[in-house]
Formats: sequence, C-alpha cells, structure tokens
Amino acid sequence: MTSNSGLPRFRLMMSDGQHALSSFLLTTQLNHLPEQKLLVQHCICMLKKVVTSTLADGRTAVTVMDMEVVQSAEETGGRIGNPTPYNKDGQMSSPAKKSSATLEPDSSSATAPGPSYRSTSFSRSNAAQSSPTNSPMKVSPMKDTNSPMKFSPAKGTNSPMKFSPAKGSNSPMKASSSSPMKVFPISTLNPYQSKWTIRARVTNKSNVRQWSNSRGEGKLFSFEVVDESVSKETFFFCFMSAYCVTHGCFCFLHTMKYAGQQGEIKITAFNNEVDKFFSLLEQGKVYYISKATLKVANKQYSTLKNDYEMTLHAHSSIVPCEDNQSIPAMNCNFVQIEELENRDKDAIIDVIGICKKAEDVSRITTKNSREVSKRALHLIDSSCKEVIATLWGEEAEKFDGSGQPVVAIKGARLSDFGGRSLSALFSSTIMVNPDIPEAFRLRAWYDREGYAVNSQSLTERRSTNSGSRMNWKTLSDVKNENMGHEEKAEYFSCLATVVYMRKENCVYQACPSADCNKKVIIQHNGLYRCEKCNREFSDFKYRFLLSANLADFGDNQWVTCFQETAEVLLGHSAQTLGQLRETDEAAFDEVFQKANFRTHIFKNRVKLETYNDESRVKVTVMEVLPVDHREYSRRLLSNIRRLAC
Amino acid sequence: MAGIIDVPKPRINCSMLLQHINQAVCFVCRVSKVHPSGKTFTAVDGEGKTVTVELNCCLEEELSGVVEVIGLVSNKGVLMAATYNLLREDRGTPFDLELYNEALKVIHDFPQHYPFEAAVSG
Repeated sequence: MTSNSGLPRFRLMMSDGQHALSSFLLTTQLNHLPEQKLLVQHCICMLKKVVTSTLADGRTAVTVMDMEVVQSAEETGGRIGNPTPYNKDGQMSSPAKKSSATLEPDSSSATAPGPSYRSTSFSRSNAAQSSPTNSPMKVSPMKDTNSPMKFSPAKGTNSPMKFSPAKGSNSPMKASSSSPMKVFPISTLNPYQSKWTIRARVTNKSNVRQWSNSRGEGKLFSFEVVDESVSKETFFFCFMSAYCVTHGCFCFLHTMKYAGQQGEIKITAFNNEVDKFFSLLEQGKVYYISKATLKVANKQYSTLKNDYEMTLHAHSSIVPCEDNQSIPAMNCNFVQIEELENRDKDAIIDVIGICKKAEDVSRITTKNSREVSKRALHLIDSSCKEVIATLWGEEAEKFDGSGQPVVAIKGARLSDFGGRSLSALFSSTIMVNPDIPEAFRLRAWYDREGYAVNSQSLTERRSTNSGSRMNWKTLSDVKNENMGHEEKAEYFSCLATVVYMRKENCVYQACPSADCNKKVIIQHNGLYRCEKCNREFSDFKYRFLLSANLADFGDNQWVTCFQETAEVLLGHSAQTLGQLRETDEAAFDEVFQKANFRTHIFKNRVKLETYNDESRVKVTVMEVLPVDHREYSRRLLSNIRRLAC
Repeated sequence: MAGIIDVPKPRINCSMLLQHINQAVCFVCRVSKVHPSGKTFTAVDGEGKTVTVELNCCLEEELSGVVEVIGLVSNKGVLMAATYNLLREDRGTPFDLELYNEALKVIHDFPQHYPFEAAVSG
C-alpha cells in the first residue's frame, strides 16, 4: 500500500510454515528490499529486529526493523507448508483487504516473532505518559531516512521541536486535508501542522469581554470544544498504519475511528472574529473547525487537557455539522460540595447542586473602579453540605433562582474566601436545570429529603474580616512548623490569652511630628531631639511598644504589639498610660491587671529578624479582635469532625 | 435533692433522654410553653425536639428563653427538675442552641476524650 507521502509502505504476510500473519510492516528503511526485488513472494527471510505492539483493539502489529533474505524465492520454490492465518483473539484482517502493493512472501523467520510478544517498544511505554498532541509529529519522520532516529523522540520528551516543520509539510495529513471531510482528532493538533479540520462540540462558551488599556481596546470570547479523539498510543501507529475500524484495514488515509479518549481544546476569537463567529457558535452544537492558530496553552486560564490552545483568525472556518453521533456531549467532572474543603484554593472545579437560595443581585465597585453585578447562590448537594457560589455580570443579572433549580457550574474557581466558596469565571458555564442524569438525581434527592437537611455551609459569611484569609494556627504550630524561618514573612491567626505584659518600657517617647515614630533623645537643654527629622522638639508623644506573652492550651509565645494593637489590649491610649506611669503608679498597675488573662483573636506576622548578626524569629501582632465564640465553636466542631474521619 | 449535686450530670438532648432514665442529667433547652399551673413546662432542644419539664415548686414568674435544667429523668421521659437557671439573652452573645447541640453530639460521639464522670468523682 502506499502512504500519502509518496513513500510506499509495505505490509508483509509472513508465515513460519504453520501460521501466517499479515500484520507485518516493513520499515521504510528496508523499502529497497521489495523495490529491488530482493524481497519477493516465497523468499525466506530472517527477521533480525522487530518491534511488536498491540493496538487499542487488541490486534498486534509487528514492524520489521531489520531483516535479511536468507534464501531467495527461486531456491525456496513456493509455499512452505500450509499455514493457516494466525488468530490471536480471533481478530485478524482478512487477506482480501490487502492493497496491491503488499507482498506475500512465504518465509520462515528464524526469530519467529509471534503476536505473543508483548512489546517492549518505545511507543507503548511513552504513549501512556505523553500528551496526545505530540503524536502527529511522529508522522513526519516517515520520509526521514535515518529511521532509527524516528523512534528516539518517543523515548525522550516527545517535544515536537525534534521535528522541523518542513517535514511536517509532507506528512500524510496534508494530502488528507485536501478533502475538507478529513477530520483530525483534537489530540493531534499542534502548531507545526497547518492543514487540519476538527469536528467537535462546543461545551463551554463564554460571553464577549471587552477591554481597554494603554495599548488600545478590543474584545474577545472563548469557547471549549470536545471531540472523540484517539489516545496517543493508537495514533502513533498511524504512520505504521494503524488498524482502521471504519474500513477494516491498515491504513491512515481514512478517517480514524476508534475508541479512544476525548480530546478537548480551548479556542479564542478576537475582535473581528468575535463578530463573525459569536452568534454562529452555540453551546452543545457540533462544528467543523479549520484554519486557526495553535499555540502553547496558558494553563492559568484553562484546565483542559491540552498543551495547546487555538486562536481564530481571518481565514478560520467554522461550519456547523449535522452528524453528531460520535461526539460526546458536555464533559463535566462534578465534585461533591463536602469534598471542596479538601481541594486547593484557586482550583477550577465543576460543581452541581440545588440552589437553595439565591440572593438578590447587587452592584459593587471593584478596585479598578468598575461597577459589576454579583449574586450569591447557596448551593447544596447530596453530601448535605452547602457552599456559596458567586455569579458575576450578566449571568448574575439574568439568573432566576425560583423553584430552587438545579444549578451546574463548569469551570468555577474555588476560593478560600469565607472558608470555601466558588466564583464563576469569565470562562465558566452556568447551567440551570441541565438535562443530565446528575441533575435528575439531585432533584430527586432534594425533593425527597434534601430540603429538610440541616446543612452546614462551607462559606462562613459572618467572618469579621471577610476580605482577608485567616490562616488559623495554634501557638505550638509556630514552633513546630518553623514558621517565619523563610525570608518571607508569614501570617497567621490564633486564639490566645494574654498571660503577661512587660510594664517597664511599654511606652517610649516618640517624635511628635506626624508619621515619624522615631524615639527622641532627651538633651541636656531639656529639648527632645529626633535624629530622623533632624530637629529638636520641646515635646514628645507617647507611643506603645508592648512586649507581651500569649498562651493557649499548648504553648506560649512572646509577641510585640505596637500602638494600635497595644491600645486594644490595654484599653487605654499610649498618652494616657504614659502619663499614668509618671503620676499614678497604682492606676498604671491596675490597667495591666485588668488586661491580663484576657482572651482575644490575634492576627500575627512571623518573620526572621536579624539584629547585629543575631537572627531570631519574631512575632508581631497586626490586629487584635474580640473572640466570636460562635464562630470559634463552629470552627472547632468542623475541625473535630474533619479529624475524626 | 441533695443527691443530684455531687453526681456527674451528663449534658443531653431529647434523643438521649431515654438512655438516661432515672439518672441525673443537665438539659439545656428553650422554653416553649408554660403550663397554666406553673408546675410544668415544655421546652425545645437544639434539634427541635420537645421535652416536658416538671418542677418541684411552682414558677413564680414567667419563664422564657434558654434555660439550663438539672434534674432526674423519669421512666416516662419527663425531666423532673431539681433546679434550673436562665441564660440571659439581654447580655452578651445570645445562646446558640443549635451550636450547643452540635457540641453535645461531639461529646457523646467521643466519650473517651470527654471523661466527665472521672472529673467529677476525682
């Protein structure tokens, strides 16, 4: 048979006198053998080096890498024995399907490779690891006369860089793409191949987003598509001629159709292409897409399993496809709400739940002074846990939560805001009452029992500092986890009790000028000098520099409190205390008495500080907050439950 | 009922009443309805279940809100109160009965970590 690159690919039917197998492929390196009539029917060959592999459908293909004709056909004089087709698993391509160029030498092979070989070949072991998108590059080495090199990339990183694009131009793909119906699996797309067509379903379509920055303005929208793609392993054999299910033969001219994993890719359209394609593309429909730019994917914005993503350009073509049967529908990987606690923040998650309650839409102003609408949905699922999912913009405005619908969000971002919460991204898809089995299951569960469940929300709405993320630790954690030992400061929150405060030097005399807190030196003339301002003052202001010891059930920790935090602990301003220290010692002591053994929530900074060649981990209190016992209890209870599992 | 004072009194809710028949318990609940006689009242626990409390002496004033009752559980599941004290709502944070119920479940799910009996007798 002939490959499309023009190089013939010989398939051999070989027999060992007892069995015959026609899935022997001759490496193109050895094409000269049949071409020069050295390898003809009935000659006997010794197969010196073969590579056996199993295709996805269980069939075996053996590639002859090196062989030697040991006895010519004349000498052999015809067929030896009466070989029967070797049947492994009962799958065997019938000889009738061989194309004209196939030779059928009946030869005995010294090494008798049988389909019983399990391949140690590169292709299999690497296929499992590498991404599907790299496979097409393997096609190009077909014309490469250094055939051993052909296989080496498989051992390596499988980067397409190993093959120059020039080779790609002769790839079989090119010929196939002359007919627009030659569909390629998404997993084979790569930037080095320009002529391809994919047939895929739109799974996720974003809204149009406009931007305006110093470089100009523009608009874009993106969508994700999925098709039925092949695994790298099976595609690898494409150039060795894989078994095509559609036509029941070894070829790669035809559309490959075999069971394999799905391919998915993200596609973005800018400016003009937005106008051209936005209304044409509908979520859930299948399209033929060709002629777009492939580039390395920005993994930050997409979690699709594809190293590449696509950008449409002026010549891109998108044509609706009527024939949908083989394309899988929306591919969602729903995570149970209770499982969200165990996922990392900023993860992209698919979630589905009943919208128990939808808050009213509100408008907020972002830090860029942009106004945007938002709406919080309370989602609950059969794990009996709730979470708040926030919708933005148009999605928030048009959302209708009446009747407690099933809401599915594909591609939401998990945040640790309020513990755990979800936020719809620009690229997320919101589905209300989708037509999928999970939705029906949820509806049934909710109607039956879910509505009455006393669920616990993973999103603590009543947290005092809703903006900042509380990193809760106990005081023993600070030492056990070696907090603050890195160069960067670490922040944590804890609940602790003040057990001691240093009364001496709790206040100091500071420069009275605003924003300058430097300690002033008392001069002989009675004036106070500030080195930083380089001035003398007749007065000063008292400022706190309080050293305190905090303790909890497990450990204690010396901390430093500056002005604001010390004031909260002591309940008096620095000025008052400074004066009390001078005037009324008893009252001064009493302030400390009353402040002692009080419990607060402390937000702290831990950092390695170096002072005169000595490095010590120092803890500074950033904020002191009253204990919210209910919130604290809830947190403890949830910790207990979590640890108990 | 002097016997009640020195004895460990596990905190329970309605679902645990029947396991503590003839035992001294501590029951925190919210008063729902006081009987006109003033001798008994019904209350609701953190799970929303109802319990009947019988007092040894009449109630002089109207009782409402969250109350902590210490008493004996009768064979019929009625709480025979020895003493009670009201948890004031007007001062501090209002008592969260549902949260208390959650804590109660933890205490009973992990008795090995909450050896109250040993603490009282030791």
